[in-house]
Amino acid sequence: MRPGLSPAGLRRPGLARDVAIALTGLALLLALPMAFPAPALRDFLIYFFAYGLLAMSLNLLVGLTGLVSFGHAAYFATGAYVFGLLMQTGRVSIPVGVLAAVGGTALVALVIGAICVRLKEIYFSFITLAFQMFIHSVIVTWVSLTGGDQGLRGGIPRPPVLGLDLNDARTLYGACAVVFVLCILAMRQVSQSPFGYTLRMIRDNPARANFLGVDVTAMKLGIFVFAAAMASVGGLILALFVSGAYPEFAFWTTSGEAIFMIMLGGIKIFLGPLVGTLLLQTLNHFVTIYTEHHGLVLGTVILVIVLGLRRGLADVLFDWLQARRAPRAAGPAPGSLEAEPIGDGALKGRTV
Amino acid sequence: MNLEALADCLSSASCAVTQVSTGLIVGMLMFLVTSGLSLIFGVLGIINFTHGAFYMMGAYCAFTAYALTGSFLAALAAGALGVGLFGMAFERLVMSRVYGRDILMQLLVCYAMILILDDGVKLLYGGEYRMMGMPDAFALPPVEIAGGFVPGYYLFMVGVALAAGLVLWLGINRTRLGKIVRALAINPQMVGALGINTTLLYAGVFGLGSLLAGLAGALAAPIRTLTPGMGVSILIESFIVTVIGGMGSIAGAFLAALLIGFTRAFGAIGFPLFVDGLMFALMALVLVVKPSGLLGREAA
Amino acid sequence: MLRVEHLSKSFGGVRATRDVSIDFPAGSLTAIIGPNGAGKTTFFNLISGHVRPDEGRVLFDGTDIVGLSSLEVVRRGMARAFQVASLFPSLTVREALTAAVVSHQRGSRRVFSRFPVAAAGRRADEIMDLLGLAPKADVLSANLSHGDQKLLDIGLALAMDPKVLLLDEPTAGMGPEERWRMIGKVHRLWEVTGMTMLFIEHDMDIVFKIAQTIHVLKYGAVLAQGSPDEIRRNQDVIDAYLGTDHRLSETVGEA
Repeated sequence: MRPGLSPAGLRRPGLARDVAIALTGLALLLALPMAFPAPALRDFLIYFFAYGLLAMSLNLLVGLTGLVSFGHAAYFATGAYVFGLLMQTGRVSIPVGVLAAVGGTALVALVIGAICVRLKEIYFSFITLAFQMFIHSVIVTWVSLTGGDQGLRGGIPRPPVLGLDLNDARTLYGACAVVFVLCILAMRQVSQSPFGYTLRMIRDNPARANFLGVDVTAMKLGIFVFAAAMASVGGLILALFVSGAYPEFAFWTTSGEAIFMIMLGGIKIFLGPLVGTLLLQTLNHFVTIYTEHHGLVLGTVILVIVLGLRRGLADVLFDWLQARRAPRAAGPAPGSLEAEPIGDGALKGRTV
Repeated sequence: MNLEALADCLSSASCAVTQVSTGLIVGMLMFLVTSGLSLIFGVLGIINFTHGAFYMMGAYCAFTAYALTGSFLAALAAGALGVGLFGMAFERLVMSRVYGRDILMQLLVCYAMILILDDGVKLLYGGEYRMMGMPDAFALPPVEIAGGFVPGYYLFMVGVALAAGLVLWLGINRTRLGKIVRALAINPQMVGALGINTTLLYAGVFGLGSLLAGLAGALAAPIRTLTPGMGVSILIESFIVTVIGGMGSIAGAFLAALLIGFTRAFGAIGFPLFVDGLMFALMALVLVVKPSGLLGREAA
Repeated sequence: MLRVEHLSKSFGGVRATRDVSIDFPAGSLTAIIGPNGAGKTTFFNLISGHVRPDEGRVLFDGTDIVGLSSLEVVRRGMARAFQVASLFPSLTVREALTAAVVSHQRGSRRVFSRFPVAAAGRRADEIMDLLGLAPKADVLSANLSHGDQKLLDIGLALAMDPKVLLLDEPTAGMGPEERWRMIGKVHRLWEVTGMTMLFIEHDMDIVFKIAQTIHVLKYGAVLAQGSPDEIRRNQDVIDAYLGTDHRLSETVGEA
């Protein structure tokens, strides 16, 4: 056997490049409200961080692993409620509250995921939805703890972190932006890791992955828990910002919106779901200004896009770019099946 | 948690009978909705997430028909047939375009449809609760059974649901059309090759499944408050029933629906805050111990 | 290396494998042949842990592996390629092979390093060189030609560093010329690696030319076994194939 011929193929955009992009992104996010100091923009962006993390983490399941969860908002809500309840005790600092909320959500996801990940496609979708509605019903019925329908009220205190006063709107925004970018970076790393490529194998062909020694169930459970943890960060950002938590966070429509964000942004590009989040949020923003019948409009838009366009907007763009590049790559690559056909002579020595 | 109250109820004939009858009607409604869901899944291989919204539509159709005609029979027919026809149209115009595509697309289409239907109802009837009230024909004194009292309407409801279930079962297992539908579930190409119009059959099966949801909604209209979005909880409950009973088994759906119905009725007395939890615990148990469900044929 | 003893399996009333006992010595190259429906693929499924036999033992390196999951069988060193290439359509050749190597090296759980890990990437390059897939390294698996897909399927199995390799019809669906090229690669692979290899094949010319030992299955049972010359002259085998429209009849005629 000869040593590897093509080390060039191994040189891929590494962590360093991703960190550089993340830092640039963060700088942009921090600069934006300084250039346009309207509070409305800041608020819009904080919502974008929260729902963006929900959509991005859901795409780790849908796009990367092929697990179409219809109950991902459950973990968004769990993060928000655990964080809010812990902070309301007045005994924990924000970092401890965040860690506990993420850890607690991961634990919940571990239990639910252990049951769900063994199920096949559509079964998985509707059981995840069922468990989400269970969490919703717990939130609504356990009034003494969660405030039920009214949501978690009474405000969520924001004790200073490292001397930063998060009650200041600009500081809060900055902190949220940093956390957001860190989470995106973490998700990027996971999707580019050996684990991430193992998940792609599972998405494409789980049976074959199993024959290649991949423990499919364990891998699925791993990404399910990680995605839930990332969604919980989105939830707690929102809870921190609105200073409360509401049962709608756990309602099935929140999961539906997250799925639509992914579809809009397309599942082929890593940051696609963020594009989808931005588009849907903008749409929601204008729809709620002009009409009360938000569902009617949103539903129609979804039908038109799914039945008409049949793909996400970002996928349309992606395919167009690929089509432009394709003619160059399509040429025949010689030499692959041109090993010497064996003649009789070559074989006689081995045939006993 | 109030186990004393539960014990008291079980030892008192009137309370026990009341709860059994409540459990029965809850179970029957779930059975109708679930068998429709299961039928559509069995033949078309898709989960109709709009099924709960169809149940809601059935209730509102019945509400309107009753208000217009004053006849409850007309209300039932309107709920069942109206939703059945709507289901066929939905299958032809929307669902059939996403067969064989990503589950993501199927979910989105259903999600969009639920949004539209819920909001459409809000537009037509307003966002508040609506009550249809008991139809005059059933304004009778309750029937006494074994020392407990059961409203006459409950008996009617159970009767209608049982009859519908029986007709469905006979239709699938004992008729030529039923045989074709079962063949369609296994090998659609073969059925198509025999010169049978599979497109029409698909639409018909989807319509029949929707009709069952509409019928359940219409039956529920006199005893439930109507609100936009009332379909979600019954959708989730019928998922649970499907899992427990076994996908694609009508008998399993019947058994599981009764089980959940009674769990709800008696759970409401014993541990009112934990009823949902109990249902989910049951479902989780079945998923872990017997993933194919009590009477399911094929493993999940 | 690999020995099966009294292996039997029924599906419903059909006895797909009947009391099969075969010994595959280390480093041997064995062909499994037989008319359609003889139970060849079932035999592979039984050995590789995909289907559990009703009776019998599968001794791999001296231990009975019946009842182990296909995952455990792979980890012990038995890999297989499929009759219809079973690939990862959205991964390139290099990505797929590297990911398979990563799995073999128990690196699938690693989240802090970047894919591809250098060591796994080098091994993937070696496999591509061995099979002549290097020029297609960056082509998506879905876009490969039929022959290259079959090669990649074998490559994925090779990534498991198997001691025993099962090939289910490596030349299925190929034209005559392509078949010879493919089987040439398979043969070279065997020479280079010294693995124990089993393959199912329909083309008798190929079987008689490259196999050391041939086992003929019919109705799930071993009809005959021996060297190509012995099989060529075996009256049972001739009878089994004559009457079917198989090309062995021609081959036998020439002999």
